[in-house]
Amino acid sequence: MTDTNVIAVRSDDFHAEATHQNGVMTLRIAGVADYAAVDSLEKLLDDVHDECVRANVKQTAVDLRKLEFMNSSCFKCLVSWITILQELPAASQYKVMFVSNPQMHWQKRSLHSLRCFAEDLITVSETT
Amino acid sequence: MGALPANAYVELNFRPNVQLVSVVRRFVSEFYQRTLGDPDGSSRVALATHELLENAVKYSKDGETTIRIEVSSASATPRIVTILLRNRAEDSHIAAIREIVDGVAAAKDAFAYYQQLLIAKAKRREGSGLGLARICAEGEMKIALEVQGEDTVELLATTEVNVEAAA
Repeated sequence: MTDTNVIAVRSDDFHAEATHQNGVMTLRIAGVADYAAVDSLEKLLDDVHDECVRANVKQTAVDLRKLEFMNSSCFKCLVSWITILQELPAASQYKVMFVSNPQMHWQKRSLHSLRCFAEDLITVSETT
Repeated sequence: MGALPANAYVELNFRPNVQLVSVVRRFVSEFYQRTLGDPDGSSRVALATHELLENAVKYSKDGETTIRIEVSSASATPRIVTILLRNRAEDSHIAAIREIVDGVAAAKDAFAYYQQLLIAKAKRREGSGLGLARICAEGEMKIALEVQGEDTVELLATTEVNVEAAA
């Protein structure tokens, strides 16, 4: 698959879109990931993971720079995704790089929590 | 609470729904930034406020919820932020809240407890139950539960914000 949208979800306050190009999956999550976004995000991450496995993707970037807030239920979706990834055979696993916005202070704390969960698979970078 | 006239506070009484939670979070985020002037401290108490409000949406018996937020006087160091959430809940929900509050209180390390919960809840489809633990771990707040009468739940979250150190 080349330069093809895997899936995109959009509501009034929440938007997420995943694209796959040259072996790299890029997922952009923006707006407010709250109670109303849980099902959409869960489905999106399931689809992203399936596509990563199918296409033998080795690197996934998750861009959170425009994500104003994520609640604990949506955060759990990220944890579940990483848990499923951890259970793959090593050869099938892919790395996940979160791109955060230093002006969204909550992101630093939440991504620290997530990285502690899977230090070998997750990296975090900051850029505005 | 509320005895010191120099303290800043806001109190809202409303019927919560998903949309209102984000509206209130944005409002109180502005309140925190204006009263604390510390972006990181404001962010973590705003996170805690959002989680408490979503908890109220989930557990409220009749939808009616009161939230009171108080920030101690600027002359006090560190600043104390207190969030009180009051609503009515079913017995089963009160028990669920109590289990989490007691679990966090008994844990020596709130962050380690939160990490354990993340692992335990990762594959469950039902409600995460992570919100209150997140308030303690990422929001660096202490939480306490009181039940008034038969079904009135009061969740109290408190933290210190060292504004001078952050400035």
